[in-house]
Amino acid sequence: MKAAPFDYLEAGSADEAVCLLGEAGSDAAVLAGGQTLMPLLALRMTSPTVLIDINPADDMAGITHTGHGLRIGARTRQADALHDPFVARHLPILGEALGHVGHYQTRARGTVGGSIALGEPAAEQPAVAVALGASIELRSTRGTRQVPAREFYLAPYATARAEDEVVIAIHFPAWPAASRAVFQEVARRRGDFALVGLVMLLDVQDTRVERAGIAWFGMGPTPVAATTAEQALTGATIADIDPRELAQLALAQVEPPEDLHASAHYRRTVAARIFERRFRTLTEKVAA
Amino acid sequence: MSEHPIATGARFVGKRIQRKEDRRLLTGRGTYIDDVVVAGMLHAAFVRSNVARGQILRLDIAQARALPGVFAVYIAADLDQLGCQPGNPVFDMPGCPSPDNGLLARTDVRFVGDPVAIVLATTRAIAEDAVALVEVDYRAEAPVIGIAAAQTMPPVHPHLPDNLVNAMDSGRDDEIDAIFASAAHVVEDTIRNCRQAHMPMETRGLVAAPDGTGELTVHAACQSPHLSALHIATAFNMNQHQVRVIGKDVGGGFGLKMSPQRDDMAVIAAAILAGRPVKWIEDRLENLIAGGQSREDQMSVRLAFDADHRLLAADVEYDCDFGAYPYATQSSASLVTPMFPGPYRLPRYRWKAKGWYTNTSGLVPYRGPWMLEMFAREAMFDVAAREMGADSIELRRKNIIGKPDQPFQTAAGFVLADISPRETMELAVSAIDVPAFRRDQAHAREQGRYLGLGLANGIEPTTVSFGYFASDMAHVRIEANGRVTAMTTTFSQGHGTVTSLAQVIAERLGVPFEDVTVVEGDSSQIGFGSGAGGSRQAVAGGGAAIKASDLLREKIQRIAAHAYNASPEAVRIENGVITIEGAPEVRSSVAEIAQIAYVAPDRLPHDMEMGLESQYRYRPPPMVLANATHACICEVDVETGKVSILRWVAGSDCGELINPAIVEGQIAGGVVQGIGGVLFEHLRYDEDGQPLAVTLKDYLLPTGLDVPRIEYQHMCTPSSTPGGFKGVGEGGAMISPPTLVNAIADALAPFGKRWLNMPLSPDRIVCALEQ
Repeated sequence: MKAAPFDYLEAGSADEAVCLLGEAGSDAAVLAGGQTLMPLLALRMTSPTVLIDINPADDMAGITHTGHGLRIGARTRQADALHDPFVARHLPILGEALGHVGHYQTRARGTVGGSIALGEPAAEQPAVAVALGASIELRSTRGTRQVPAREFYLAPYATARAEDEVVIAIHFPAWPAASRAVFQEVARRRGDFALVGLVMLLDVQDTRVERAGIAWFGMGPTPVAATTAEQALTGATIADIDPRELAQLALAQVEPPEDLHASAHYRRTVAARIFERRFRTLTEKVAA
Repeated sequence: MSEHPIATGARFVGKRIQRKEDRRLLTGRGTYIDDVVVAGMLHAAFVRSNVARGQILRLDIAQARALPGVFAVYIAADLDQLGCQPGNPVFDMPGCPSPDNGLLARTDVRFVGDPVAIVLATTRAIAEDAVALVEVDYRAEAPVIGIAAAQTMPPVHPHLPDNLVNAMDSGRDDEIDAIFASAAHVVEDTIRNCRQAHMPMETRGLVAAPDGTGELTVHAACQSPHLSALHIATAFNMNQHQVRVIGKDVGGGFGLKMSPQRDDMAVIAAAILAGRPVKWIEDRLENLIAGGQSREDQMSVRLAFDADHRLLAADVEYDCDFGAYPYATQSSASLVTPMFPGPYRLPRYRWKAKGWYTNTSGLVPYRGPWMLEMFAREAMFDVAAREMGADSIELRRKNIIGKPDQPFQTAAGFVLADISPRETMELAVSAIDVPAFRRDQAHAREQGRYLGLGLANGIEPTTVSFGYFASDMAHVRIEANGRVTAMTTTFSQGHGTVTSLAQVIAERLGVPFEDVTVVEGDSSQIGFGSGAGGSRQAVAGGGAAIKASDLLREKIQRIAAHAYNASPEAVRIENGVITIEGAPEVRSSVAEIAQIAYVAPDRLPHDMEMGLESQYRYRPPPMVLANATHACICEVDVETGKVSILRWVAGSDCGELINPAIVEGQIAGGVVQGIGGVLFEHLRYDEDGQPLAVTLKDYLLPTGLDVPRIEYQHMCTPSSTPGGFKGVGEGGAMISPPTLVNAIADALAPFGKRWLNMPLSPDRIVCALEQ
């Protein structure tokens, strides 16, 4: 388990990372926290010719409040985001999700951008980005663009990032402080990728749902937005919604995978149960 | 109990003494195999088969050989020049030899991971680069996967008639059929274990260093330097003195490192051919696909009870998947059926046992290899209790053996003595407070929560001593400065034997614990012995240490008596200080006696040999029994199928404890591995013989977050060995699976299912509850 030979380049800033990646071409990989990349290199499941290490790029780390929401630099360590007061105040659901990412030790190294960029379908942070309607800031020597998270994930480990683009930051839009949030993950062990994962945000004014953001993870080739259920909820009165029917609606767009750890049937069954129960809990709160 | 009264004051045996090796190991100063560096060393990597069964059509090593940094690429024909003898001189059973396909596959491959070529290069990374350049074409054939396929498909090993490795049975017994026919209750089912890996933190590995004189030094992550040296010398037709196997620190064995396997031998052969030292560190992928496996076995059990729930008869059929290149198969196949009666009155017993070759990684004994006897019996007792409407603890009470019942001969012919099954069961039951739990359980069920209590009893045969395992040796000497050096044939895999034996020796000699150094792990420095395996080191190593220390103490007493004109019986040794009863003015020391022994022979009794050292080769009884009862409380989330363990009580009787902390460490480690086997660990193969769990992302081990705090309850019935010790290494791994499975089954009792197929993953639980 030794990596195949590669050239190693350090990027001291975001701009340098962008330049180096632009020069390196298609066979380059960006190294951030390395929590996935290093094992893949060791297993020779990936063998880039150039590795661009953005760990020295301190300008890629940090969380800022933009007025529209939070901008999280891609190289921000998961542990730092987890303990960030802005995240705690404005994006508590991201904080909750980060608590499920890997382990205490791995979060000290793993980055928010690394997880967002990888596109592991059972990972927590991409699903939060999809549910909340975040966008991904990408930069290349050609320029900067923002891609909505809902358009970013194409297939397992395949994203809309072009091969010369560096993930610079993730923009999470603000949701009203009173939004109701659900984060639930079923995993074999604490710290494992999800067998079934659900992120749900509801902006409820009085008893009317103004806006809903729902995403599944571990339930398909990418994090999956439950858009049909979101549409059904938007503008609806909580009391009029049948949680069981809504759960089926939320699962209508999902084709769960079958793997070593769980069958598709398990994923669908447990997802429906979780959705229904957690939605009911939210409803009861609203009613109360 | 002690055969000799101890003439020394301080007691070290029975104390939770900090391990001598901990500071070194915890501060990164251990010497594991990958820490060994030898001048001129090359690094090995294997080309391994990616098909489960097939003919090698083409094997092209030219590109790999041409890569800069590559020293050699060897294939079977190269290594075959050395004429390495097949077979395992330590473990092969008569009439059941290891299958021979060379150290590297010759013309066909027989499992995914079968080594077909070995690369030697200046670094492991270059060796892996070269592995990627070796081209192999296979003509794949339908592999034999699973016991059912083994019974009907063409043989895995073409020179053998079929896939049946061995078949044993208890013989014809027509009366037992009549007992089943007329019994008030008959319960029947099959329990299926699932394939697990040993998963030591340190994988296999060795550094093989041949030298110009024809001698070979092998640094090995092994369980027994001596047995490895014996195996290597036999295989390469060398004299024993030509092979030196050295081990320093080992990061866990669990049976995996009891014997060199084909790939270890291939590394040694490659080093001899190359004339260079070669290091091979198995990586985790290799470890998972080719290191060896265990627990892919199943047992069909029929139990007959009378109307009063007394056990009348058992009828058992056992089958085990041995993979392609197993070793020490007798550790599961030959013990599982004889141990099945356990600590119960079982009047009549019939059994069959079979082992099967398949195109998978080979069976290697894993901590409690025969564990299915305990698992199947205890799980089926709970199934029976539920069927009969009996309480599972009451059912056991009606049938279990207690101390007053012994000696007791089981239906399989074992004589039970010096154990306390009924007593540890009552100990565990009272620790749990069963009535209080039943109230909690009823209350929780009203809220839709499912709590369960599981309990299991088991007897652990320890220190199984026959063949090369018949004896262990200790050489104890007091150096000229009064410090003590002991060389023993134990070998710590993390067991802390250098601490526990130092406790024994310090106590028997009457010297400070700090003054005793135990040295182990070198086949050329220390006499022959069997090392770690079969839960033997406390009894066999401890017995040898006691005997050798007692001889030495007697010599000290005789020298002191001579020097101070007293009788040897009046000489007291305490904390290294020597006093004479009745002569308070005398105050000598072990160091002074050592000076006399080594440099002042005139002060010795005139017929006494100089020096202060002793050696004893101790032969333990054929088997020393320990016993335990574990109980656990768990909660099953029926929404997700996840199991949480809320309490775990381990009631054990492993005789006199040398160091309770080390004993509890052994119990804990076994329990955790057993929990892993029930909830997480599964080395699954697909129907094409491809292993599916090839990283630790897919082969799930329990973490610290998944296992409970264990409540230890100790009971002491000393064994009839010198220290009263018993083994404890394997019991935890055997008893924890039925304990947990019974708790899960109790939690889910309202659903009326049986839970006998491992692992009990969330998927299996949810899907079964739906049916």
